[in-house]
Amino acid sequence: MEKSNSEKIRLGVFVTIGLLIFVVAIYFIGEKQKLFGNTVHLKAIFKNVNGLQIGNNVRYSGINIGTVRAIDMTNDTTITIDMILDKKIFSHIKQDAVATIGSDGLVGNMIVNILPGTGNKPSVKPNDVIASFSRKSTDNMLNTLSVTNDNAALLTADLLKITKEIIHGKGSIGLLVNDTIMSGDLKQTLYYLKETSKGASETVLKLNKLIASLDNNNNVIGVLKDTAVASQIKHIASSLDKTVADLNATILNIKDGKGAINYLSNDSKLVAQIDNIVTNLNETMTNINHGKGAVGYLINDPRLAKQIDSTMTNINDASFRLNEDLEALKHNILLRRYFKKQEKAKQKAAEKKN
Amino acid sequence: MNNISRIKDVLKSFFAEIGELSFFTGRFFKEVFKRPFEFKEFLRQCYNMGNQSLFLVAVTGFIIGLVFTLQSRPTLEEFGAVSWMPSMVSISIIREIGPIITALICAGRIGSGIGAELGSMRVTEQIDAMEVSGTNPFKYLVVTRILATTLMIPILVFFGDAISIFGSYMVENIKGNVSFLLYYNQVFNSLEFSDIIPTTIKTFFFGFAIGLVGCYKGYNCKKGTVGVGIAANSAVVYTSMLLFLIDFIAVFITNIFVDI
Repeated sequence: MEKSNSEKIRLGVFVTIGLLIFVVAIYFIGEKQKLFGNTVHLKAIFKNVNGLQIGNNVRYSGINIGTVRAIDMTNDTTITIDMILDKKIFSHIKQDAVATIGSDGLVGNMIVNILPGTGNKPSVKPNDVIASFSRKSTDNMLNTLSVTNDNAALLTADLLKITKEIIHGKGSIGLLVNDTIMSGDLKQTLYYLKETSKGASETVLKLNKLIASLDNNNNVIGVLKDTAVASQIKHIASSLDKTVADLNATILNIKDGKGAINYLSNDSKLVAQIDNIVTNLNETMTNINHGKGAVGYLINDPRLAKQIDSTMTNINDASFRLNEDLEALKHNILLRRYFKKQEKAKQKAAEKKN
Repeated sequence: MNNISRIKDVLKSFFAEIGELSFFTGRFFKEVFKRPFEFKEFLRQCYNMGNQSLFLVAVTGFIIGLVFTLQSRPTLEEFGAVSWMPSMVSISIIREIGPIITALICAGRIGSGIGAELGSMRVTEQIDAMEVSGTNPFKYLVVTRILATTLMIPILVFFGDAISIFGSYMVENIKGNVSFLLYYNQVFNSLEFSDIIPTTIKTFFFGFAIGLVGCYKGYNCKKGTVGVGIAANSAVVYTSMLLFLIDFIAVFITNIFVDI
């Protein structure tokens, strides 16, 4: 009886532990698929789900937060995916979050990736539909690769043709490759190019030195770089502008027939008269220079000049003495009143002006 | 002409065997719901088959997990996919290796045991004596054993799976310095209900097959003491064959209902 009891206990322990292993495994698998916790539904609409299956994981910022619960074909271009997500994470998903379908590793299962939205938007509500983005599927990529392969094949065929022609010396490149004289010329050209570049580098060095020396005030450009000089030049330039403008205006006036110059340039009679006058003046001047007439005598006779000079000295002396006499008259009792009146009248006039 | 008659004889005996086994199965289902229920004998058989087989299943499971990981690891390393080891090991052990290995071990240990035990009872006329004494030998000996194997094999498979995965973890921990938490996470991340539920249902059928064939061979033992050995031997052979057949049918049905 005792043995039977111990057997029963052992059997009980064995069965309990065995069932516990099963229950724990079921619990963990269920928990991973969010079957036991608080979950909320969220939807996304795709054009192509790329082999996504019910039960595939849903990730938000790289964290597994739920699974795909249902995949429904709404119409010929719209597939609605229903996801169950962990309620704790759900509040972090914003309304502008975007769902994409990707793969877990290179050869892994398909997963739904929810890309976080901006912090400004409010959180999504249960059964909301979030925006989706369909990535290029592997088939699309393979199709593109197929086109690329075709193009590559065409390119290689063309290249083969070109290389054949080059080998046979056809075309410019073929000639270049096969012509030995041209290669010699090329070598020579390259040598000259080398020499030229050497010279160019030396020139550049000199230019650099020259440019560096321009900072000194010893040369014209250095002086020009001085701000004071620059302002002066500016002033001159503006004055020149003004002068040019005035000249233009004058020329315009002349063209319009205004002023004496225009009259002079347009009236042929006047020009003839002026010409005549100038001729007369020339003759007069010649006569004067030769001492003919009163003016000639006046200019050419040195004695007369001396006499005039002494006369002028006497006149100066006489005018000085006259001034003294006048000053004395101002203080004379008879005339003093008259001069005072004149002064007062001058003062009044000055005050009025002010 | 001789060959044709031989083939005919083989076919006849084969179909006769299947027919007898079918009748035997029918009788089991007829008797299982009838009173009295031999509960004590059922518990004793459960203990014998479950607890007594645990050590063997545990050791085998541990070694299977260990060896499986050691053998697969270099290949996965070549592809740089060692991180997939827990997923691969867990899925293959839970879905297939765990149940079939456990069932084969139990077929060897329990099936042959039942065949030998019932065969010797038949040879020594103990079964006849039971019939004479008014006890239903089929109910007492067959129904209890088949029920015990049907219920104990799944539990042994749970133990076997858990220990196998632990053995695999031991290798991963030594070779790859993987923590238990990471390994456990990766194991459960890769498992789905579609992995664990069909395989658990399958193990009940494995248990039933082991008990049924063992009991059938032992209960219908002939030719004296030699027949006991034949019964034990053929019980293991037929059970093993039947296990693979059931496994094939189970995988086929699972593939139809669950998109793996």
